[in-house]
Amino acid sequence: MNDVAVLGGGMTLFRRRLKETGKELSFQAAKMALEEAGIDNSDIDMVVMGSAPCAFDGIHMKGENLLDGAGAKDKPYVRVFNGGGTGVFAPIAGWWHVASGVADMVMVVCEEKMGGCYPHPQTAFQTIWDPILDRPLTPNLVWLFAMEMNRYMTKHNIKKEDIARVAVKNKKNAVGHPCAQLPDEKITVDDVLNSEMMAWPVNRLDISPPSDGASALIFCNEKKARQFTDDPVLVDGVGWNIASSMWTNRDLYFPQYVANAARMAYKMAGIRNPRKEIDFAEPYDPFTYKELHHMEGLLLCDKGEAPILTREGVTERDGDMPICPSGGLLGVGNPIAATMGQKICELYWQLAGKAGKRQIPGDPQVGVGQAWGDIMQMGTVMVLRR
Amino acid sequence: MTFLEKQTNPLDPVHYRGNLQVDNLYTSGAAGDRFFKHLMENDTFLASECKECGTVFFPPRLYCEDCFVEIPEENWFEVPAAGTVRLFTRAKLNTYGEKLEEPKIIALIDIEDTDGAHLGVIKSDEPDKDFMGKKVEAVLRPKKDREGTIKDILYFQVL
Amino acid sequence: MTEEKIQGHPKYAPGTHVSSKDIREKKVTYTWWEVEAQYAYSVGPANSRFLKELKKGNIVARKCKPCGRVIVPPRMFCEHCYGPTDEWVYLQDTGQVETFSRSYLDPDANRIEDPILVGVVSIDGASPKHGFMHYFGEMDPEDLHIGMKVKAVWKPEEERTGSIRDIKYFKPLEGGDE
Repeated sequence: MNDVAVLGGGMTLFRRRLKETGKELSFQAAKMALEEAGIDNSDIDMVVMGSAPCAFDGIHMKGENLLDGAGAKDKPYVRVFNGGGTGVFAPIAGWWHVASGVADMVMVVCEEKMGGCYPHPQTAFQTIWDPILDRPLTPNLVWLFAMEMNRYMTKHNIKKEDIARVAVKNKKNAVGHPCAQLPDEKITVDDVLNSEMMAWPVNRLDISPPSDGASALIFCNEKKARQFTDDPVLVDGVGWNIASSMWTNRDLYFPQYVANAARMAYKMAGIRNPRKEIDFAEPYDPFTYKELHHMEGLLLCDKGEAPILTREGVTERDGDMPICPSGGLLGVGNPIAATMGQKICELYWQLAGKAGKRQIPGDPQVGVGQAWGDIMQMGTVMVLRR
Repeated sequence: MTFLEKQTNPLDPVHYRGNLQVDNLYTSGAAGDRFFKHLMENDTFLASECKECGTVFFPPRLYCEDCFVEIPEENWFEVPAAGTVRLFTRAKLNTYGEKLEEPKIIALIDIEDTDGAHLGVIKSDEPDKDFMGKKVEAVLRPKKDREGTIKDILYFQVL
Repeated sequence: MTEEKIQGHPKYAPGTHVSSKDIREKKVTYTWWEVEAQYAYSVGPANSRFLKELKKGNIVARKCKPCGRVIVPPRMFCEHCYGPTDEWVYLQDTGQVETFSRSYLDPDANRIEDPILVGVVSIDGASPKHGFMHYFGEMDPEDLHIGMKVKAVWKPEEERTGSIRDIKYFKPLEGGDE
């Protein structure tokens, strides 16, 4: 298997609605990644597209629609998709193109346009459920995550204010991010707790916004990458795992599938003690409690311990284990697949020392990014090392 | 592996009805918005040219998919709302398989002074004739009725 | 395109924000399209029996002999043992609340005044943690809690159609909470 290096990343503005088409956003993100890598699109052997449900963009088989903006014309090209897990699964697919040796240079582009879906992106989400058993009850995703959050809180006796701290931290972290949709320097725990009740125990500020946006990342065979840099950031491990679709037949308090994916990635990376060997993490945070749930799934702390670490400041940018230094989905926005920008591009920028105002102090060497999707069942994990 | 139980009674539930209803608002995009806003005020089209390879895009694009460079606004220009028929077909059925009263002539039209083409409808007093290679021009909505969508082009007529 | 140069990467943030007001005032052009696709989903043998029994006021499960699981909603195969399940088992129409929410959002994310009480009920007679999503009723919303014993409230027989909604909701089981 070949070692794989990261050469550059790019992302567009994240907003509730952008004027640009999905193709145009893909082009803008890809262009930025090529600029950072210092290469032309003609240097790219193959392209991977990550994009979530077609119903958001309203274009069926949107992989085909987006390909020219992703620079994939006349090239080997594939779209991958596993719901919210796509933002980390698309780079995993990009990695295996290079690791397997079928390509030396691969561009991964992730795109989402949710602003055009009416009456609300939740309407499209209704059709992800089992049509016979679940849909007649007209569920929406906020209900589902409220139920999971409740189970998690009840199991570990967690207070809502400890979960609200995640929104405060991430929205503050996002202040240094030029693409951020909801950065907020002044937000307090009380603001989160007093925001509108959506579905108990989820308040409005516990939720990341729907967004339009795109992101891009370039992977390169490590030997070839030495032409571009003496100190490459390498993909050290990847993992992915999915639980049963029968979500009403399993306990929701712990994301076992994330732990399975993390163990797979850590084994590949030779990481035996993730708490000591990993310097920072970008777990998937579409809801406040998910960051905590995923820290536990990533084996960065004990079950039920993540809220305590958050309260003690361990997860702040200057803490012992910075979590979501990008600002995460809560601060930067949630164009589903394009959150590769916060989850994997950010790992690269942090490890390369290029994160500017968001840079973690102390010269981090190892970071882990993770995404989560489908009906509370998909875990995707990638470890990067400098 | 086979299921040990079969459905044998046709009166047992077999199907469950459902639908998928999502409405979409598609912004025209950075390039599309410029194109349609021009079309609302003018009786001509816009095209954009990649100066690297010389391709003239119609519909105009923000970027060249071959050279992968952005096309700046100064490389946009007006072209006639007219072209030449490259391909055509006479549709006799609608989307639902029902017979149309009059055949609908659907054509791929190479737009003049560009490397691009437009899929449009031709209206003609002689619908049965051969339209291959014929020069056609766009018939647009009256300016006051234009709304900035592709439907502002009503149809094409043979010159 | 805004090119807000800042220190670090991403160096700029391309893209043009369009607000709802911009759309209402037609400051940008757009195309509107309504998709309406109709489906007849095949229910399959497991759901067919499940729905038929719901119409009669029964909740049925499938038992997998190799792992001993009593599975509801029933399935013709066991995803653990990866073989066919073996027999039908009638369950009770009682159970306990595994988790729940009080939702102030309707299915299209519109705001509503009276919360919808929704959650997962594990059904008595099935394996632990095995159940399905449903509504709750006939209770003070604040009383709803994880571990609460509940019982199905069925629609009148003549109104049942062979649907998960033949159960109207679950209500507190009398004498259920110790």
